[in-house]
Amino acid sequence: MSKTRLTALAVFLIALTAMVLAACGGGSSSSSESSGGSETSGGSEESKPLTVGSDIPYPPFEQGKPGSYTGFDVELMEAIGEEIGREPEFIDSSFETIFRDVAQGKFEAVMSAATITEEREKVVSFSYPYYLSEQAIVVQEGSSIKGLADLKGKVVAAQQGTTGLELGKEKAEASELRPYPEGPDAINALKAGTVEAVIIDAPVAVNAVEELGGIEVAEKVPTEETYGIAVAPESTELLEQINEGLSKTLANGKYTKVYEKWFHEAPPKGIFTAVEEAEAE
Amino acid sequence: MADPMLRLRGVNKSFGQLEVLKGVDLDVQRGEVVCILGPSGSGKSTLLRCVNLLEPPEEGEIFLEGQDICRGPGSGTGESSWNLDFVRQRVGMVFQQFNLFPHKNALENVALAPERVLGRSREEARSKGTELLTRVGLADKLSEYPERLSGGQQQRVAIARALAMEPHVMLFDEVTSALDPELVKEVLDTMRELASEGMTMLVVTHEMGFAREVGDQVVFMDGGVIVEQGKPADVLDNPREARTKKFLGLVLEH
Amino acid sequence: MKVFFEQYFDFNVMGEHFWEVFDAFLQNLLIWVVAAVLVLSWGLILAFLRQLPGKKFAPVRFLTIAYIDIFRAIPALIVILLISGGVPFLTFLPKDIRIPHWFGKPDPFWYGVAALLLVFGAYMAEVYRAGIEAVPRGQMEAARSLGMSHAQAMRHIVIPQAVTKVPAPMLNEMISLLKETTLVSFIAFGESVLVSREILAERLNSSALILTAFFFLIIILPMARVVDYLIKRNQLKITRGAHIEVG
Repeated sequence: MSKTRLTALAVFLIALTAMVLAACGGGSSSSSESSGGSETSGGSEESKPLTVGSDIPYPPFEQGKPGSYTGFDVELMEAIGEEIGREPEFIDSSFETIFRDVAQGKFEAVMSAATITEEREKVVSFSYPYYLSEQAIVVQEGSSIKGLADLKGKVVAAQQGTTGLELGKEKAEASELRPYPEGPDAINALKAGTVEAVIIDAPVAVNAVEELGGIEVAEKVPTEETYGIAVAPESTELLEQINEGLSKTLANGKYTKVYEKWFHEAPPKGIFTAVEEAEAE
Repeated sequence: MADPMLRLRGVNKSFGQLEVLKGVDLDVQRGEVVCILGPSGSGKSTLLRCVNLLEPPEEGEIFLEGQDICRGPGSGTGESSWNLDFVRQRVGMVFQQFNLFPHKNALENVALAPERVLGRSREEARSKGTELLTRVGLADKLSEYPERLSGGQQQRVAIARALAMEPHVMLFDEVTSALDPELVKEVLDTMRELASEGMTMLVVTHEMGFAREVGDQVVFMDGGVIVEQGKPADVLDNPREARTKKFLGLVLEH
Repeated sequence: MKVFFEQYFDFNVMGEHFWEVFDAFLQNLLIWVVAAVLVLSWGLILAFLRQLPGKKFAPVRFLTIAYIDIFRAIPALIVILLISGGVPFLTFLPKDIRIPHWFGKPDPFWYGVAALLLVFGAYMAEVYRAGIEAVPRGQMEAARSLGMSHAQAMRHIVIPQAVTKVPAPMLNEMISLLKETTLVSFIAFGESVLVSREILAERLNSSALILTAFFFLIIILPMARVVDYLIKRNQLKITRGAHIEVG
């Protein structure tokens, strides 16, 4: 009997070792790794990678596979990283805990199409706004739903924990409001026909319409909302660096380049003025 | 001379690659008690189970009261082609492990099949059952559940249960082998009585005394064939075959 | 450590959202009850099909065994995602079946029930089968020797005995089933886990999850004790009985 046990133990240890080696060897991180590790209050060595939490995928802001993430957020962060001399390392994370996670040091920053809200500002600090956000209502082609008002009594989907969901709760008198774990899940439900509309960030909506077909944007709902990069409240130095970096990219055209690549149009004047105003404060 | 009650011709039975019966011929006359002896693995139990079609033979013929039981009303192969009903309602079997139904008491065990299979009324089945259980000496145990009965009592209930179907032939598969020695006698006595009432019986057993006193024919099997058969006195006291001698020598020296 | 307690054991948050979470938990119970009734029946049908004897029924047995193997192997979550993702596209089915909205419950509810039915039906079939196989072979042989048909033997002799072996493992499966109803959160049905996570996103606090766990605990703990009791009682039955089962 003990012989069998020994063999089993040996096999188990070998398998365990193999897994550990594989995990270490693997290039880009999974959400269990937090190479950013200990709570940095900004002033860490600048050559270390900057760990950034993000809920991937959320095209066109962040998408792709570990090791080769891409998207507006990703590339903008890389541009900012160039300015401040730190290379960002994106870590896939679940959106609903992402602010709490960065506050507790799981990663150093959050770049995840995150709307700046009062509630969230209780827990994290936000950078200057880097994107003016709109929500969009996506429907099946030919649907009778033309706008927010038409959502009354319909089955509507949104992503859990997002401002799109909030908008749905406040303004759409939906018969049922379904929160999906990921944005793409909500879009799938629309395609399948189990929901009649999706409220989701405008660029995500546009991207989905382009990629999938069979669905269209019924209405874009402008909001006063902006996206920001979040850091832990104590990370004041890091925040300064990020804000500086962001300003520089706006000034030197890198921002525009990334924006045009992912949104196929020039960035609105509004974003430049928003940053100027923020700088002035 | 009347047709034998049971006639086996060239019966072969294999389990996969293993040949258990290799051509068995046997005649059992009405009212005869045939005792089958032999070492384990000789095929004696299998032979019994062929007779009531618990294990159908691969080859050979089995005639019960003149009817070929392997060729029934259905066509093709498999259970529907046998004469199952015919066999099972004429042949009763008692097992080494009793196989009483634990969730029914003694009377229910005995009355169940007559009620469900023969369609007797509950009263009729129960009154008949009471009669049978009295006959085997268990009149006071009618409402006891098997777990409260001794091995010998359980086996007697099993005999009564088989008798309730009014079989023409009774098969006994080493029915005392699992019993404590002091309980063996009551079962053998019951079987003895049954024999004296003229029941045709096929008894696989190690009880030489029973074979000698009650048996009309003794059959010695080894390696899937009948090695020797004849009157008890002949086979047991003056065996002709070496294998028989060897087996008896081993057994009797116990 | 203090942060941990604030994040998970904030009783204010629990208090403010108590009825919200409670109502959502009732949804878990509803899924459970509906699925359980169906699972117990479907499992029985499967178990019955699986043991149909003879050459004639071989294809039936084969299909049943294949079904059971498949759904024992595939995680329930995958089944739920496949059903909710795929069924709406089966356009040959009428819309009312593809996207069910029965008895006032929306389609994710029914997709969840369907997935749980498929998976736990397989588990339940195995529980029934184990019960049947625990009945000694000699019982069937004795019954057949007395002239009973296979069906009669099953009905009067085997099944009644199999049934005593079934309650404990069946209850275990029902406990698992209750826990697995949380998977329906993945397809956006408002049961307790989903609602807790919404509260988490809203309040940036996870205490609602602890509250949910607490609800599950209250219901399942007594059930688990019953299982233990049943198992113990069965053990006693086996050792006490004078079944002289000599091999």
